[in-house]
Parts: sequence; C-alpha cells; structure tokens
Amino acid sequence: MIDLTEANTNLVKEIFGDDLDKIGDIRKCYNCATCISGCPAAEGDPPLLIRRLVRKVLLGLEDDLLDDETPWSCVSCNCCEEMCPMGVHPFEVGLAIRRWQCSQDETYLPPSLPEVWEIGHTQSVHKQGTLRASLGLADAPPSVCVTPGAIAGFRKMLKETDVIRDNSYMFKEEEE
Amino acid sequence: MKYGLFLGCNMPTIRPDAERGIRLTLEKLGVDLVEVQGYACCPGYGTFPASDEVASLAVSGRNLAIAEAAGVDIAVQCGSCYSVMRHANHSFHNEEKLKKTNALLQLDDKQYSGHVKVKHLIDLLYNEIGTEKISNSIEHNLEGIKAVVQYPCHTLWPEDVMGFDDARNPHKLGDLGRALGADVPSYSREFQCCGGAGGFAARNKPQAVQFAKRKFDAMVDEVQPDVVVVSCITCLMWMNNVQMEFGEDWSPIPVLDYNQLLALCMGFDPKEVISVADTPKVPVDLRFKLAEKITKAAVA
Ligand code: SF4
Ligand code: SF4
Repeated sequence: MIDLTEANTNLVKEIFGDDLDKIGDIRKCYNCATCISGCPAAEGDPPLLIRRLVRKVLLGLEDDLLDDETPWSCVSCNCCEEMCPMGVHPFEVGLAIRRWQCSQDETYLPPSLPEVWEIGHTQSVHKQGTLRASLGLADAPPSVCVTPGAIAGFRKMLKETDVIRDNSYMFKEEEE
Repeated sequence: MKYGLFLGCNMPTIRPDAERGIRLTLEKLGVDLVEVQGYACCPGYGTFPASDEVASLAVSGRNLAIAEAAGVDIAVQCGSCYSVMRHANHSFHNEEKLKKTNALLQLDDKQYSGHVKVKHLIDLLYNEIGTEKISNSIEHNLEGIKAVVQYPCHTLWPEDVMGFDDARNPHKLGDLGRALGADVPSYSREFQCCGGAGGFAARNKPQAVQFAKRKFDAMVDEVQPDVVVVSCITCLMWMNNVQMEFGEDWSPIPVLDYNQLLALCMGFDPKEVISVADTPKVPVDLRFKLAEKITKAAVA
C-alpha cells in the first residue's frame, strides 16, 4: 500500500523544473516498458526501471525516490531515448533524478568530482609518461593539467557553479 | 582536412596504444590533427551531468570553445565523450543555456558560439574520408579474416542528436571493416550494447558479465569471429577485460579498435599500436598472433 498523505505534490517541478524540452512530458508515460526492453541496467540487481522512477516522481514519493540508487547504474546508452513512443526522455529523467539526489544528499555526489576539479580528468592522464613514450606518444595528452596556468582558469569557472560552491569543503585549492 | 583530436580521459591513460593507432592512421589518410590544448574531461555522465547541469555545460562548452578558438571541429573515438558533447551542443540551441555557459566561460577567458561540430571517428572515416581511400591506403588486407563489429551505442541513439548512421540498422563500421577486406558477418546480438559504461558494471558486476557473455556466446555460436572490432574506448576496455571473467573454458577473442586494425593493415609496428593490456590477465599475445597473420597477407 502506498501512503499518499506523505506525498510531495511538487516533486515533478523540484526535479525537472520547466525543462520540458529536455525531459519531455512525463505525464504522458503510460508504463509501456519500451524504455526497459533494451536497457542493460534493467538486468541489474536491483533493476533500473525508468517507468517505475517516473511513477515515483508523479506520485510524489520523495523519500522512496531519495533512497533509490538505481539511476546510478545507467550506462547512458540512450537506447531508451530512441525508443520511447511518448516523447518522454527516459535517460534524461534518470539523469535529472541523480542531480536532484545530489542536491538533497551530498553522499550521492560522485567521488570523481574532486578528481575532475583537481586535474580536470577522471584518470591520471599526466602519469603515464613512460608507457606513452614507449609507443611514440607525447608524455601526456594536451590536458588542462599539463597546460601552464590552465587549471586555475578551469577552477575559477567551476567555483561559480552550485555543486562546487555548495560543497566547497570537497574542492580544495592547493598551491599550484 | 583538419580536426581537433579529443582524447578524453581513458584512452590516453589506459589504452594509449589505441591513441597511437588513431594518430598514425588518420595522419596517413591526410587528416591534419590539431591538439585541443588545455582540454578537460568531456565531462563523463557520472560526473557533472549527474550532479549539476550548469557545471556540466560549462565544462563541455569550455572544451568546444578551445576547438573553436583553434578553428577546428572535433574528432572523437570515445562514445561517452561523443554523446556528452553532442548533447551539450544540442542544449546550446537554447539561447538561455548558451548565455549562462558563456558567462562562466568568460571567467576562464573563453567564449563559445555553439557551432563546433563533434564528429565520431566512424563518421569521419566513412563519410569524410571514404572507404575507397581507406582501401587504397593499406599494405595488407584482411582476406580470410572474420570480424564482428561493435557499434558504439552512444553514437547511435537518440538518432536526432547523435545520428550519422542508421540508428536501427547501422552498417558503417561493418562497411569500414569490409573496406579492409575482412568478412564482416552479422549475428543476432550485433546491436546489443557492450554494457561496460557507467554504473552498471561497477554496481552490478555479475549481471554485467552475464549481459556481455550472452553477446559473446551469440557471436561464437553463430559466426566464430577472429576479432571483435570496436570504435569506443569503453567497448575496447570492457570487451577485452570481461572475457577474463567468463571462466577457464572460454577461448578469448582479440578485441581491437578499428584504427588499430587499420594501422596493422597499413603496416605500422604492432608494438606501438596494439601492445597495451590494461589488466595483466588479458592475453595480448593473441593480438600479436592476429597481427602476424595480417602482415603476412599482401594486398591482393
Ligand atoms: S518508454 Fe516512455 S512511455 Fe513507455 S514506460 Fe518508458 S518512459 Fe514511459
Ligand atoms: S540510457 Fe540508461 S536507462 Fe536508458 S536504456 Fe541505456 S542504461 Fe537504460
């Protein structure tokens, strides 16, 4: 039984804002499961089921949705985007739910964010010099982290974004 | 023909042999590769796109602004980079989003018009360079070699934002394989994605391995390929490594990026273009055996 007395009737707006271009009109989702039929993550345990997430949003089941980690197993193949017959953007729905979860609970923030802040990448692109040289490549790709002065400008820009400002303790500015 | 080569994070770090293959082959085909100097993460879907849309568009916009200032469009192999930056460009059709992004870019002395094209290597190879020129560029052909191709999911869907091939029935990577003389048969799970990207494999390893195994089982039962040809760094890493999880009875099939295969056909040194294993378990010698077979064949 679902208790709707606790429902957040404004949840759609809190998660998606007015960005109908990007998300589509999720009220048109009729639970057909086309978005699931080609979805690898629908085979996960627990499965990622976009149609179920859409129901949770429409019913305003805020607490339930906040605890639901399945959007994080998406492979971003965008197969569901291609297939939805109702003009909903299922992949964007999942992505927007992830952003909303991050804004509600900082433990959702991807651990890769501080890495990108620090060196501009999710991998240590500047630390494979020996291997790269052995193949005839430059020691490092032309990254922000090896271009003089570039990382400072990169961070200056990022510092003005909500996710960095609101969680500034995670994003340190060491001396260059 | 001039392009900014966008390398992303994984390829230059984990599989630089693929990077080497891409650089050597494109240059030989007359593409002038310009460095996207100062680039950062695209940013990957699991980073800013999943936490802050404004930041995500700023980081993508910054990469595109660098290419624009250098006067080039972008060429990219990584499916995720391609998808993220194509989606970003699509978002920039919205004036408000472009304006907001430029306000942030200004802090880094950059600006972006929204007009840089992001091209996947399959698109570049097939539609710009063409199969005929590729066929004429090789010293060894793949006659007698059976290849299956892995279409990178991120380059197919959604077609209105990503498309350069038929999204429901793609053929261009297969045709590129045929241009090298390979037999490229279809099989039932050809268009199933590899399942290696994002959180699925990280959070649901056993299910992700099963998902990939079904695909590999289908290719072995139906066509018994000598090589799996990909054109995405995630497909390359995952389809290599996941085979090590299939158990003792599994005979691994070498997996190569298309440009690595092309490099072998062009006669480049296998040590430079196919030699890196990102996990010690992957049998690289299988790749070298394949390379030996290829380099023995002259162009017919
Ligand atoms: S395919 Fe579209 S309409 Fe069908 S369940 Fe998924 S989101 Fe809803
Ligand atoms: S984009 Fe995500 S939700 Fe959509 S089909 Fe792919 S894995 Fe599933």
